[in-house]
Amino acid sequence: MVLPPELTLFLTSIVAWTALYLIVSLSLNLEFGFTGIPNFGKALTVMGGAYVAGYLPGRIIVQLTGIGGGKDYIAYNAEIVREVNLFLSQNLGYSVMIFAATILLAAGVGAGLGFIAAYPAIRLREEYLAMSLLAMAEVGKVIGYNYKELVGGTLGVQVPDPLASIEQGLLRFTLMSLIIMGFAVAILLYLQRLVKSPLGRSLRAVRDSELAAETLGKDVVRIKMKVLVLSSVLGAVGGALHAFYTGGVIAISYDRVVWTFWPWVMVLMGGMANNIGTALGVLIFVVVRQLIIFYKDTLAPFIPFDVVWLDYLLLGGVLIAILMLRPEGVLPEKPTYPLSKKIIREIRERVRARISSETLEE
Amino acid sequence: MGVILEIKGVRKTFGGLVALDGVDLELEEGRIYILIGPNGSGKTTLVNVVTGVYKPDSGRVAFNGRDITGLPPHEIYRLGLVRTFQIPQPFLKLSVLENLLVSKRGQSGEALLKAPLRNSWLMEEIEAVEEAFRILEELKLADLWDQPSYALSGGQMKLLEIGRALMSGARMIMMDEPIAGVNPVLAHEVFGRLQRLRDSMGITFFLIEHRLEIALRYVDHVFAMASGRIIAEGKPEKVLMEPKVIEAYLGA
Repeated sequence: MVLPPELTLFLTSIVAWTALYLIVSLSLNLEFGFTGIPNFGKALTVMGGAYVAGYLPGRIIVQLTGIGGGKDYIAYNAEIVREVNLFLSQNLGYSVMIFAATILLAAGVGAGLGFIAAYPAIRLREEYLAMSLLAMAEVGKVIGYNYKELVGGTLGVQVPDPLASIEQGLLRFTLMSLIIMGFAVAILLYLQRLVKSPLGRSLRAVRDSELAAETLGKDVVRIKMKVLVLSSVLGAVGGALHAFYTGGVIAISYDRVVWTFWPWVMVLMGGMANNIGTALGVLIFVVVRQLIIFYKDTLAPFIPFDVVWLDYLLLGGVLIAILMLRPEGVLPEKPTYPLSKKIIREIRERVRARISSETLEE
Repeated sequence: MGVILEIKGVRKTFGGLVALDGVDLELEEGRIYILIGPNGSGKTTLVNVVTGVYKPDSGRVAFNGRDITGLPPHEIYRLGLVRTFQIPQPFLKLSVLENLLVSKRGQSGEALLKAPLRNSWLMEEIEAVEEAFRILEELKLADLWDQPSYALSGGQMKLLEIGRALMSGARMIMMDEPIAGVNPVLAHEVFGRLQRLRDSMGITFFLIEHRLEIALRYVDHVFAMASGRIIAEGKPEKVLMEPKVIEAYLGA
């Protein structure tokens, strides 16, 4: 299949961004759509995963190989990472190992951040919780931006490329996009199974009435904690993958608009508590955004302001349109029975038959 | 049968308002109790304190011989005590069937690690659905099984509350005005069912109810409350004739 490189690049970025946002938005949907935790600090865990990718793999390779001869990793970052990539391009085993280790550690850091986020989540009511989580994400960004050792502060750091052995350019981006999409699809399938179960039912029960759920035996505090830890793990994996995809980490790019508000719009647009709806919301949003980015120059003459603002207008415009036209999203929530409706109807008939035979006996 | 619930000297205040002023109660297992009293006499507060929604200021609540004072509601559920709400608290976006299934005890598919492993809990789920339909048929809600519960009428929501409580497999159920808004014929059927459950499984019921003309003929024992205290108890006919009770209701 031969496509013009421009089109390939366009499609590749759609695949990659859809996959990245799918991971983040699905994890938000688990928190808010299913469990009712208004996580306005989604950027925090994405950032956590990205920081791991920015901090760790390069330093590990430096430790193992002595690359850079003891120079400061941050100060000589470009030079050192170039050498690390050269090393990785000749050592496929190390590439795989470093990729897997980073994802696992990002997941671990994500779990830790989820645990920290759970602290206010089980004590505060909705609005206050949303504000606290928003603030926590801002704090994370400020730390990353000012504490140079972590991810290079204002200048950022480069991330070693696990695909260094592949010819740099389109092929590398395509392959990375597909790897990320693999993660996203696996997560989607896992979450679909997870919510189509008695657990998913209990999560939605907690969301609809914490009081009734408590009195019917649900440990609301523990449930929220588990959900936050799981979804934060997913968010952090998304962040680490994003760092590998772009090949660099800079704290300011993990801001509230890009990694909190946009995922929120995607979830609201697609349909809360509906993973397929969320996936649809992600796809629509990403395609429109990519179209704006790729056809920036074409669009420029027609709009009286800088094209970058279209992104933000899009966010607001889409949100207003959803709230007015389809407050439940493209695919609204449906009852998610673990059993098929056909089997449920059969069970009902069986019960009815038994009841009528019992009344006959009496 | 033995004592299932023991309440000793329970006191609960909200600011300056004394809602419960030293309540003592003893319930025996396998009986149907009713708590009557004028509005604001502390009936719902008592249920809230017993089921862990509120913590009492002082006093002690024991269920099945175990001190449950101040335990969170989900632990009290685990010990076998469940309640319904005066103002229905359905899981609004869940269907009628799902509302019942939530309350099923000991579902292994609720564990985070087991939930994705469908085969490990499928049989349990089928049994739970069977049980839920048995209850729904009796409550005349079976035709509505796939409706989201926000679409139900007020009376149907009350029945859903009862259904969830019955589904929980509890040893004792406290019901806060279970038949408010339910038509009389169905109300009689509901109470008939409670009696059958009392007789066949020894379940204890503690009802708060104002519709005495329907409720009284099904109950074994009456408590009357006024201003946060139990003022009378005993057989229905006896308690209703007590001057103190008549006074509390008529405000004489």
